[in-house]
Amino acid sequence: MQPFAYSNSPYPIRSDLSEAYRHAWTKLAAPGTWWSGGARVAIAQEVRNARDCELCRARKAALSPFAPIEGAHNSTTGLAPEVIDVVHRLTTDPSRLTEPWLQEQLGSELSVGRYVEIISVVVTTLCIDSFHRALGFELEPLPEALPGEPSRHTPTGLEEKTAWVPMIETLGETEQDLWPQPRMANVIRAMSLVPDAVRLLKVLSAAQYVPMQDVPNAAADGGRAISRAQIEFIAARVSAINDCFY
Amino acid sequence: MNSQLAGETTNLDAIREGSGVTSGVPDGELLSRLVELTLDDSADNADELAGVRDAIVAAMDAPALVDAAAVIGNFQRMVRIADGTGIPLDKQVAMISADVRDELRLNEFGSANLTPAPGPIGRFLGRHLRPLLIKGIQMGRTQAAADD
Repeated sequence: MQPFAYSNSPYPIRSDLSEAYRHAWTKLAAPGTWWSGGARVAIAQEVRNARDCELCRARKAALSPFAPIEGAHNSTTGLAPEVIDVVHRLTTDPSRLTEPWLQEQLGSELSVGRYVEIISVVVTTLCIDSFHRALGFELEPLPEALPGEPSRHTPTGLEEKTAWVPMIETLGETEQDLWPQPRMANVIRAMSLVPDAVRLLKVLSAAQYVPMQDVPNAAADGGRAISRAQIEFIAARVSAINDCFY
Repeated sequence: MNSQLAGETTNLDAIREGSGVTSGVPDGELLSRLVELTLDDSADNADELAGVRDAIVAAMDAPALVDAAAVIGNFQRMVRIADGTGIPLDKQVAMISADVRDELRLNEFGSANLTPAPGPIGRFLGRHLRPLLIKGIQMGRTQAAADD
């Protein structure tokens, strides 16, 4: 059976949601820009492991996320320990991450491109798993990784003055599809060091939020069964619980 | 403090304080409870979550529940992109939202220091040019969407 079939769902699932999730699973399994398919699926598994991680729970309760707390992450993959730590922190305590922390992580195992791709895999897994949790569904089994090499593509036109990671300021020839020039919101540009991460984000956002053309119109609900005010209220509550300023 | 949220008057305290506060948004308390229980990893709340789902289906309908769940997923993604990359608020948004951010005590969040606080002039302009700035943001994004 294909993933995200929802054949036993008591609720009608929009076909564009199923299609977006299947697209995301296909991308998750394939080699990315900096990680192999196997590593990407392992990162997704660590997102799920983080939910039941006692170390993450203790850290979240601590005054500082960097307080020395003994213990090991709840991990089942062969990823490097520093990568596992990054994945768990992004999953369970993202609002207390800092630029000095990120700079300390960057080294032999983790380039900034690899870090941005980790964010992409973490948020892709989490946004779909959260949908399932909200509806009481079992989590979709992770896909089988596909063989192949990462593309190692670095876009042109990057700037490094706005965020902790480089972002595209001027779209190059191979990135013209990311957004129309001249400007795009920072939250869309944020992962543009890995252009495929932005492409995947656009597919998921169009299905889970509202289609791109409806975003600027506060009266447009994208044909959803809840009003735009209800949509934005949910968005604000999710952001508040996550202590997200943006 | 009340504010306009997509055209509806909303009690901003409900965004920060949660489902115990009347929001002014239709079925806002149920939707807020759905968010809170979905995001709570610390307890086995499956039964309570099931009850909230039933209540939303009864009060609204099943497609509304599905769309609400999808929005929860979407913003679980967006908050981590923002916090993981250290982006500041876009300048125009920072100007027009200064008062609301104060009211919601968003400046207490650690990531708030990524966005420089607007000075008195910025706040004045944000308040008094708000409709124009919003229009500008909308026009820019509408053009972007059309070009897409």
